[in-house]
Amino acid sequence: MKKWFSITLGIVTATGGFLDAGTIATAGESGAKFGLGLIWAVVLATIEIILLVEMVGRFTAVSKKTYADAIREDFGFKFYLFPLLSEIIAESLLLAAELGGIAIALSLFTGISWHIWFPVAALLVLVMSWRAPFDWIENGPALFGLLTLSFVIAVVALGGPSHDTLVTLWNPDVKQGDLADYLYLVAATLGATISPYLLYFYSSGAREEGWSGSSLVLNRVTAFLGMGFGSVGSMALIVLGAIVLRPLNMNANTLGEIGLAMAKPFGIIGSLLFASVLFVTCLGAALEVVLAVSYNIAQGFGWEWGENKQPVKAARFNLTIIIFLLVAVVIRLIGLDPLHLALLASTVIALFLPISLFPFLVLMNDPQYLGNKVNGRLSNLAVILILLIAFVVALVSLPLEVLTGGG
Amino acid sequence: MSIWHWNLRITSRRNHCGFWRKGSLCGLLLILIGLLTLTTGCQVNQQAFERIAGDAGAAFSAASTTLNYFHHGQITNLYARASFEEYQQELGGLDRQLPLQQGVPDKHTIEQLLVVYKQAMQVIDHPCLDTLCNWHIQLASLDRASQAFLKAGGQ
Repeated sequence: MKKWFSITLGIVTATGGFLDAGTIATAGESGAKFGLGLIWAVVLATIEIILLVEMVGRFTAVSKKTYADAIREDFGFKFYLFPLLSEIIAESLLLAAELGGIAIALSLFTGISWHIWFPVAALLVLVMSWRAPFDWIENGPALFGLLTLSFVIAVVALGGPSHDTLVTLWNPDVKQGDLADYLYLVAATLGATISPYLLYFYSSGAREEGWSGSSLVLNRVTAFLGMGFGSVGSMALIVLGAIVLRPLNMNANTLGEIGLAMAKPFGIIGSLLFASVLFVTCLGAALEVVLAVSYNIAQGFGWEWGENKQPVKAARFNLTIIIFLLVAVVIRLIGLDPLHLALLASTVIALFLPISLFPFLVLMNDPQYLGNKVNGRLSNLAVILILLIAFVVALVSLPLEVLTGGG
Repeated sequence: MSIWHWNLRITSRRNHCGFWRKGSLCGLLLILIGLLTLTTGCQVNQQAFERIAGDAGAAFSAASTTLNYFHHGQITNLYARASFEEYQQELGGLDRQLPLQQGVPDKHTIEQLLVVYKQAMQVIDHPCLDTLCNWHIQLASLDRASQAFLKAGGQ
């Protein structure tokens, strides 16, 4: 009975925790600009994240080591600094975007400027990451995140996509001069979903919960069903953007206007549902990002770590949380708004994916860690192929967007 | 153990030189992709002016929809207020930015755009979010700006 409860909870939290500022921003903008023309990127990214989450869970359960521990052990400390550095750069941008998402959600509820809410959001994340037990952080926001399923209901309430919109699924409406924009959103979609922080967080979480070989079923079901269902919310948001925002020539360039897609079928309740989803998903993601980076640094440097430990028992781990939050606040001062920051962060993540994840693939093929549970050839190939697509698209589109002031 | 597994494993522990040699080859490949991107950039991307004008047109359309939804009871006053703050940040300062962009049209067209822009920005700065003002006039001003900028953006 307890096992089934764990499995259900795993699926529910993975489903609810799928969206964040990056996925909401990319999905809304994709639908508004290109109709259903980027659904394929969500499907591709979902396949990749399912494979990676299953792998990192299997790795931790079998080897009893976290991902960061193993990289340092296997490749040495100097090599470990490469993925760590890429992780810190990309995730600090993402953390700033998640804090901005929380701030904008609070602003949509209260009418008070999101600039005022931004430091409050940082403080909220700090307090929760210091005081809340790991179970709360993992399950709380994700359970509320199930509200994302309201996006699916909204699509049904609006009668689904018209024939003209449906055509964009296989024939995206990419006008002349829009290709760079399209590629940028492909990269951002892949980067927003395939976030390495999720792997560090998942791996550390599995250690905090003492996973072993008997947890492999839970791991597999969580990865496949949870991430699979989670991506439905992201796709529904693309469809909503395509049905509601695109005919009105809106670009979904702000987070508030993405919520208008929910106001059309459900009125005030719909817009507030969107603000609630934005709040809980960004809060959950901000906590996961800040903890994942702190886990990564603490494990890599061999410090005491653990969310369930008192701050004084893992002082440097908790100090890292504070410093990382401060870095995110400083990034915010550069002046980019949260939506554009989320898109930029997601694309930068896509660009760094090979650095972050190729060492992981090597570990996943090492029988010294995994015995007979090493990766199969097909999953290796699938992961490498999707990583390379994300990397090349990000490499091509990022300079173009920066040069023309887009993004 | 398959050859595939062996290859990946050897990279990790036993052949770091091979790894770095492959790394420099990858680096060269990346530089080539980067150069290709920069040289073909103009073919796959819009002119800066068109892009900014198109985005502004979309933002004015979003503002118009927000105002419309508010007066039809589909969003709260607070939601509308917060949204207009976002539009203000997105559209503010465009009158200084726009004439300096690559691909800018003739002076007359720019001047016409800026007239429409200034009228619409008054709405963005002071949207009619109660029953005491005439929101229909504001809506018309936002729609006019949206259409003008979308047209200038080639949409």
